[in-house]
Amino acid sequence: MKKAGNKIRLGIFVSISVALFIAAIYFIGQRQQLFGTTFRISGIFKDISGLQAGNNVRFSGINVGTVEDIEQITDTTVRVYMVIDGRTQKFIKNNAKAAIGSDGLMGNKIVIITPGSGIAKEIADNEVIQTAIPVNMDDIFAKLKVTSDNAATMTGDLAAIMGTMRSGKGTIGMLLMDTVFSQNLTDALINIKQGAGGFQQNMEAAKHNFFLKGFFKKKDKDINTKK
Amino acid sequence: MNPQPIVGPEAEKTPELKSPDNAASVFQPHSFPLYRFFLEVTLLTKFTARYFKEVLKPPYEFNELIRQCYLIGYKSFPLVSVTGFIMGLVLTIQSRPTLAEFGAESWLPAMVAVSIIREIGPVITALIFAGKVGSGIGAELASMKVTEQIDAMEVSGMNPFKYIVVTRIAAATIMLPALVVIADTISLYGAYIGVNLKGDVNVHLFLSQVFEKLAFIDVLPALIKTLFFGFSVGLIGCYKGYNSNKGTEGVGEAANASVVYASLMIFIIDMIAVQITSFMM
Repeated sequence: MKKAGNKIRLGIFVSISVALFIAAIYFIGQRQQLFGTTFRISGIFKDISGLQAGNNVRFSGINVGTVEDIEQITDTTVRVYMVIDGRTQKFIKNNAKAAIGSDGLMGNKIVIITPGSGIAKEIADNEVIQTAIPVNMDDIFAKLKVTSDNAATMTGDLAAIMGTMRSGKGTIGMLLMDTVFSQNLTDALINIKQGAGGFQQNMEAAKHNFFLKGFFKKKDKDINTKK
Repeated sequence: MNPQPIVGPEAEKTPELKSPDNAASVFQPHSFPLYRFFLEVTLLTKFTARYFKEVLKPPYEFNELIRQCYLIGYKSFPLVSVTGFIMGLVLTIQSRPTLAEFGAESWLPAMVAVSIIREIGPVITALIFAGKVGSGIGAELASMKVTEQIDAMEVSGMNPFKYIVVTRIAAATIMLPALVVIADTISLYGAYIGVNLKGDVNVHLFLSQVFEKLAFIDVLPALIKTLFFGFSVGLIGCYKGYNSNKGTEGVGEAANASVVYASLMIFIIDMIAVQITSFMM
């Protein structure tokens, strides 16, 4: 009796482990599109940036397939074969474009398919998809280098200007650093202010002058007519 | 330092090697460790060849095989489960701070799953298995040898090698992969709890992230190498126990040597398996 019980326990144990193994194989296989309907497409790239067989293919942000194979065609072109989930075939048009991207900053390389226009026909099995030149990190770094070089030149020039200003050279330098100049400037401004006040008084007096009264009245009349 | 006497079938055939005192005076090759090592390799190879010869030849001891599977596999389940759970939990907790530094905590399930399934699960489970089962087989067979039960079986017309050795090695080979699959699953459960200690990841997302990064190249070689781990644990345990003839002292020695050599073999096989897998990738 006990022996039979042991055999049953062993059977359950082995069955569970086999079932778990089959489940793992199924889930991995499902992710690699082994059990559903699929179709194949390919794209020709100049540079695949380290893409490998098994990397994901993404369409509208969803993983819809995997890279099946990579083949070097010529010295400058590489053909990437992709297996795509059959359910997404109707959404991928034949003017859709594939590009090599990256899954996050440090993630694996992926193929990103951007949707084509709605009026185009859906892509067929074994059709060659159009490709776009991906944004290369090296290009970004090259542009970043140019920008940083420009920034370095600008900061250098700015430092030279600041140095000149601190030594009191030039108009702004004199304004900021030369106390006599700034005092003269202040005095000049006071004089201008006083002069402007005097001028206004003179003009008021001129308005009431017998000889000039007519001129000012005529001017006021013209202004009112225009309004 | 007195040279160690040679034990096992080779000593039976060559009485002058059995005791160093009987040796022909000047040149005593068995006193050299390298000689003893190669002799041991030869005897182990013969033992392995005899196993393959006996395992294919009928009659088959199915009942004994199933009994051994139960004792070796099922009885190791609680120990392997607890170890697996702790393994997954601890690995997750320890990995979290490093990944958090890079802002990559969402990679935790995938990283832990790949580590467990590719390497840590099979190796740690095999080492636990070697400690429990390898020592048990070594001690059991050595005590059977000491108490002359093996001789008695031979006298009664049974084939002790087939009944004792073949069934144990086969059971160890079959049951270790099953234990590893279960240990991996329980480890992933431990990892799930570890992830949720400081985060909030539901089961569905956790499993998606786990299977996102797993491929056949991770699962199949890991499972195939456990067959070799199990075989080496069973083989070394049986070899050390079956060839023990130093009385009660030999029982302890056989148990100890079984664990040490089986553990070493596990690492050697793992190193070879990693090289082969890397080549395939």
